[in-house]
Amino acid sequence: MKLLKNETENELTIEMILHAKRYSLTLDKTRCTGCGICMEICPREAIEIKKTPKVDGEKAKPPTIDISEEKCHYCGMCAPICPFGALEVRINGEYIIPVINSESFPQLIREIEVDTTKCDLDCVDCEQACPLSLIKVSVRTPNGKEVTHIASRPDKENLKVVVDIEENFCPCCRLCEVKCPEGTIHVEKIFHGSLRINREKCPEGCTDCLDVCPISGALYLSDDGKVYVNELYCVYCGVCKIVCPEEGALELHRTYIRHTPIHSGAWNKALEKLTSTKVMTKELQTKSLTKTQESLKKRFLWRRKF
Amino acid sequence: MSLEPRIGVFVCHCGLNIAGVIDVKELTEYAHTLPNVLVAIDNRYTCADPGQEEIKKAIEEHKLNRVIVAACSPRMHEPTFRRCIAEAGLNPYLFEMANIREFSSWCHPSTPKEATEKAKEIVKMAVAKARLLQSLETMEVPVTNKALILGGGIAGISAALDLADMGFKVYLVEKTESIGGHMAQLDKTFPTLDCSICIEGPKMVDVSRHPNIEIISYADLLSVEGFVGNFKVKIRKNPRYVIDENCTGCGECRDVCPIEFPNKWDMNMGVRKAISVPFDQAVPLVYTINMDYCIECYKCVDACGARQAINFDQKPGEVELEVGTILVATGFDIYTPYDDSRYGYGRYDNVITALEFERLILAAGPTGGKVVRASDGKKPKTVAFIQCVGSRDVNKYEYCSGFCCMYALKNSILLREKYHEDVETYILYMDMRTHFKGYEEFYRRAREQGINFIRGRVSQINENPKTKNLLIRAEDTMLGEPIELEAELVVLCTAAIPSKGTDEMSRILNVTRGTDGFFMESHPKLKPLDTPADGIFLAGACQGPKDIPYSVSQGSGAAARAATILSQPTWKIEPIIAVVDSNKCRNTKAKCGICVKACPYGAPMAPEEKPAEINPAMCHGCGTCVAECPSGAITQMHFTDAQIFAQIRAALEKNPGDKILGFLCNWCSYAGADLAGTSRFEYPPTLRAIRVMCSGRVDRDFILEALRLGAGMVLVAACHLPYDCHYISGNVKMKARMEALTKMFEKLGLSPERFRVEYVSAAEGVKFADLIREMTEQMETLGKEKIKAENEKLRPTLERMLSKKK
Repeated sequence: MKLLKNETENELTIEMILHAKRYSLTLDKTRCTGCGICMEICPREAIEIKKTPKVDGEKAKPPTIDISEEKCHYCGMCAPICPFGALEVRINGEYIIPVINSESFPQLIREIEVDTTKCDLDCVDCEQACPLSLIKVSVRTPNGKEVTHIASRPDKENLKVVVDIEENFCPCCRLCEVKCPEGTIHVEKIFHGSLRINREKCPEGCTDCLDVCPISGALYLSDDGKVYVNELYCVYCGVCKIVCPEEGALELHRTYIRHTPIHSGAWNKALEKLTSTKVMTKELQTKSLTKTQESLKKRFLWRRKF
Repeated sequence: MSLEPRIGVFVCHCGLNIAGVIDVKELTEYAHTLPNVLVAIDNRYTCADPGQEEIKKAIEEHKLNRVIVAACSPRMHEPTFRRCIAEAGLNPYLFEMANIREFSSWCHPSTPKEATEKAKEIVKMAVAKARLLQSLETMEVPVTNKALILGGGIAGISAALDLADMGFKVYLVEKTESIGGHMAQLDKTFPTLDCSICIEGPKMVDVSRHPNIEIISYADLLSVEGFVGNFKVKIRKNPRYVIDENCTGCGECRDVCPIEFPNKWDMNMGVRKAISVPFDQAVPLVYTINMDYCIECYKCVDACGARQAINFDQKPGEVELEVGTILVATGFDIYTPYDDSRYGYGRYDNVITALEFERLILAAGPTGGKVVRASDGKKPKTVAFIQCVGSRDVNKYEYCSGFCCMYALKNSILLREKYHEDVETYILYMDMRTHFKGYEEFYRRAREQGINFIRGRVSQINENPKTKNLLIRAEDTMLGEPIELEAELVVLCTAAIPSKGTDEMSRILNVTRGTDGFFMESHPKLKPLDTPADGIFLAGACQGPKDIPYSVSQGSGAAARAATILSQPTWKIEPIIAVVDSNKCRNTKAKCGICVKACPYGAPMAPEEKPAEINPAMCHGCGTCVAECPSGAITQMHFTDAQIFAQIRAALEKNPGDKILGFLCNWCSYAGADLAGTSRFEYPPTLRAIRVMCSGRVDRDFILEALRLGAGMVLVAACHLPYDCHYISGNVKMKARMEALTKMFEKLGLSPERFRVEYVSAAEGVKFADLIREMTEQMETLGKEKIKAENEKLRPTLERMLSKKK
């Protein structure tokens, strides 16, 4: 058995190589925001958040993640929970997440709907709005060929706008939806909750939370020199809370996580860690409620037949 | 026995063995003059029937209540004569032997006069002791006729089945989840090439089905108390988080479990699920959740459904057992040569151990029986087996692991059968060791199949970083020149080493380990299955590396040894034990417990504010505690202080300055002296020997008394350090005691050579004779005058010291 760890500028890879099987976990550092959601749910405590020390006069930098090749056992729970899709598990080179295959862990639901019929041919507002550059807008002919110079085309009415979104990496901040002039995009957030800044506790002139926030516009600097939250965009990843130097200055509460239906103790535990016991209990109750409803429905259907 | 001693002395001619040197008539007449001696008779052969009859007749006629036979070593005929006087109605412990053959006639043939004088004093010492002998009653303890077997490998399985078939209840305790041991990990077995699990599997099932056997698997031994026939054992059952009775072994939980972890059973080459069995044929077939890996998704609970076998709240359970005997069959581990940079194990992908190879070539193994390289998953074209990795290496493990030659042959034949000419096989060996039935034939078969044998030790293995092939450098001792060999896969046949828990186990059971770390048997030849602790036996590789047939026969042998106890309703215990005088014990006033620390068997108990007590059944009668006791409260039966002082005084009554007074331990040094006699090594007749069971018995006061009486030299001879002591650590305790004494004598101005501690084994007759010769020479060099002067100077101090205690 060999345990390897390899770190480059953009990637951190750990590997477990057995004679008959090999496992790997890769962290895409360019996508990782250091929010620590993976760390919170890791059952082996294999993930560690390392705060980047602040240099005076410079902006705060997001924390980095370290994964222990000795502790990780490649269950893959960290990969589907990452809102930024920065983690990837491979078994024998294939992209496999064991906990998803066995329905022990849910996948996040990223509900993004785009109705491109309303799109203006020359509008790229969504592409520009995306803070993570995940949207690519293109104009295509009916047979799918990309058109670059729209103005010179005579057959404008036949051209179609295509909006490609790399959904796997999208934390669903809704910036594109809000910035779209035609209302063609509809995005549901993954994490619901609240983020509050107790500004009386904020150190004078500190903008650390704002500096590390991956979603531009979720936090903003007001005229009074303090940071405010725009909850419309906030994805509740919580990286701001990690870098915040003052205890209690930032309050983050997640109240709901949109995910595929699941019945699993591992998820309940993860949910409790990410939200609260109350939220977890609520979800359990809802589940049993749906179950009751389903069985009732079945019985009524049976009755209606006769 | 308050009666006035009436002693009979019987002097044996032993043909001419004694009478040829010693004037037997003179000796007999002398014996008659000794106090309390009523009869002194000489026979040609006292041990023969007429001789024994004469003893019986004399007992009856003269109402003798003590008998002394002056003949050979007590190690030879003491039991014979004890039986003889018991038949005449005397207590067998009212017998004493005067060893005038090994200690006089045989070792002083050229000085018959001195030999006779020495024999006289030997008889005199025996009479002195005999006057104080007490009758002792053999103790009987009840026997719980149940057995505990530690370790469920093939040795433990064999022992369990045998004992259970004899009708005894057997508890088989196994540390891991399944019984089977190393044998269940192997592919085929030499020399018949039958599949290992196919022959062991049915045995494992037999064990689980046997009404007399209870398997306690996934459990640890916590403590053992008690003694032969009456052990109380505590065992911790580790939680499996699966209820044994409810689990059907269907494996549905395993199928839904998302978590995999390296399977130790597969030598970490493959994986198993967080809820699983280590291998399909596991016995008992009960699944186990590894909580280190479980993420608690409870998918297994759903899969198990109505069977409700999974219980996440399970706690470790403690089991208490009462058993009569304990069989230790804890097996061995395989050395992984991470620490030996020569082989590159752990560094190079394609260097594996032989046990890893077994899992590779096994059809049920992680690769499905395909021998592939870890680096590229391809079948190797050349495979090199390297023998004696770690074994037969003075820097690592000195011993030969025994079975590696055979399994290397087996594995190369298996490779040949599987891949024919596609794989070239090399065996690099030091010596091929293929003794035992059918093994040599197997070796020939391997040679005929075109396997390449290279005789020589590997000096270095290097990896080609591109191809990951391995370049082996070795010296071919046949050709006498260095060779280089490129192999695609290297299999290291590594040493078998004591299993991981052996150290802890030895502490719990009070069973010693040898220098190699394996458990030590009572006697390497005549008691290979016994341990020095009564009622505890050894089987299989926990005593030293063994192959399967050897382990099986040892399992059956140990079962038979255990049955000798289990089949009895009671067990007799030698009455030569230590007894505490509760009035003298100072543990009532102060916290003492010195005897508890001195005893290697845990026999004494010293509860607070109460006098210490010694469990007679656990006492082995070494007498170490007797010598250590600060208030002289402990007495060793048959070797009492009074008896030994009487012997010292008798020995040193006349011309003490010319004599060496020796205290010899029964098992090594006395036997070594016997051997010197039997081998007719002649040495000066200066020694007056006192036999003690263990050198640990030699009290400081004995030495002081000897010197007070003016002994020329004093010798304490013991078993070799550190492991030879028959009583585990008596010699170590003696050494510490005597070192303190030596320092004191140094200050008092005693010539250092006059008090000597030596270590003589039962095999060192020459050493013993040389020792006495050397000491006699030293005594002569010192001269009578000097010795006398020293003694005069020392006497007041010694008298003060001796009176203090009395």
